[in-house]
Amino acid sequence: RMEASCLELALEGERLCKAGDCRAGVSFFEAAVQVGTEDLKTLSAIYSQLGNAYFYLHEYAKALEYHHHDLTLARTIGDLLGEAKASGNLGNTLKVLGNFEEAIVCCQRHLDISRELNDKVGEARALYNLGNVYHSKGKNVASAGTHDPGELPDDVKNALQKAANYYEENLKIVTELGDRAAQGRAFGNLGNTHYLLGNFRSAVLAHEQRLLIAKEFGDRSAERRAYSNLGNAYIFLGEFETASEYYKRTLQLARQLKDRAVEAQACYSLGNTYTLLQDYEKAIDYHLKHLVIAQELNDKIGEGRACWSLGNAYTALGNHDQAMHFAERHLEISREVGDRSGELTARLNLSDLQMVLGLSYSTNNSMLSESHVVDNSLNGTRPRVGRRHSMENMELMKLTPEKVQNWN
Amino acid sequence: SQPLAGRQAAELQSKVVPSKQILHSDNMEMEPETMETKSVTDYFSKLHMGSLVYSCTSKRKSK
Repeated sequence: RMEASCLELALEGERLCKAGDCRAGVSFFEAAVQVGTEDLKTLSAIYSQLGNAYFYLHEYAKALEYHHHDLTLARTIGDLLGEAKASGNLGNTLKVLGNFEEAIVCCQRHLDISRELNDKVGEARALYNLGNVYHSKGKNVASAGTHDPGELPDDVKNALQKAANYYEENLKIVTELGDRAAQGRAFGNLGNTHYLLGNFRSAVLAHEQRLLIAKEFGDRSAERRAYSNLGNAYIFLGEFETASEYYKRTLQLARQLKDRAVEAQACYSLGNTYTLLQDYEKAIDYHLKHLVIAQELNDKIGEGRACWSLGNAYTALGNHDQAMHFAERHLEISREVGDRSGELTARLNLSDLQMVLGLSYSTNNSMLSESHVVDNSLNGTRPRVGRRHSMENMELMKLTPEKVQNWN
Repeated sequence: SQPLAGRQAAELQSKVVPSKQILHSDNMEMEPETMETKSVTDYFSKLHMGSLVYSCTSKRKSK
């Protein structure tokens, strides 16, 4: 009687998660755990699904807890395939939490068991996960410094090179297996790894493959991702016209998919691209579009960035009144969000504009002199502190709907 | 001071002409992670098979 109700609850949890309602699914799984079962394999499946549901809900501490329970259980009952799966999930969760060394151990265990069991599908998935851990590790160390793609310290380069090797190994297997969806994922992340390594031509080749597969599947989100990544790579190849074409396709798809945040990002990228092309009217047009959406989404950091970019573009056009307006707004917002380097940049811009306009500008003089002491490289450099977490964290937010499709 | 202001304006203008490094937006689009999945129904069916096998063998033994 009790067994049946634990199973019934778990089955309802599964159904809800598959339908995309992880929050409700979690309640049923937790109720199932409360009721309990003597069948440890069933319990292991419940823990695993609870872990995944919490992962999709971005509650990684909980995800870690349940995947850990699952691993312990799988080992206890000597379920090797179950242990491999639990290790892989634990590895992915540790990666998101930034615990890369432990993540590598777990993903390696997933790989070793899969090879032992001659499970090609599992082996390929473990290789992809390992690639992802090394990619994140490399990116994480890189973002702690102020490096641009291609200019990396050795430890970052090593991690990224390992990621590239794992993605290549994964590609070999999934190509043999004829798994096009997996190929698409590997090409996308391989492309991004080449991009960080500064291999922009290789990045383009990989993203072109990703684009092809996205079109095969009619996967418009993946298509949009490929366009955006292609745009980024062409910027660093110095081919700004091509980059602008890809960003325009990104924008088009973002609008079709009704994703305002992605639309804003595309406008921002286009504004920057037209700045590089020194077409400041178009740059202003796109930065204004970005500004409107940032305000709509109450994205203060994005709004500050838009104001800064607009100030620069208007300065380039010699429209110092408008430049002053946006520099002032940039200063206000930087203060509001506590972005110190943005604040200093804004003060520098304001003092420059003030000199040009010959105005006595009511800015705190001590702050102004302080800002001049600060390294000049701050001026115009993208602020590292208080960067636009709002838009940049979209990657995580977007995971949920796509993940749910992968539930089976 | 008009020529001075003009020069300053030109300097200011040249300052804002950006390099691609400055404008790099860090907005890389990653592919989704793949999680390994387990299902209660997998084990459920095996469980039933198991108990069926058990009941058969125990019946046979009892014969």
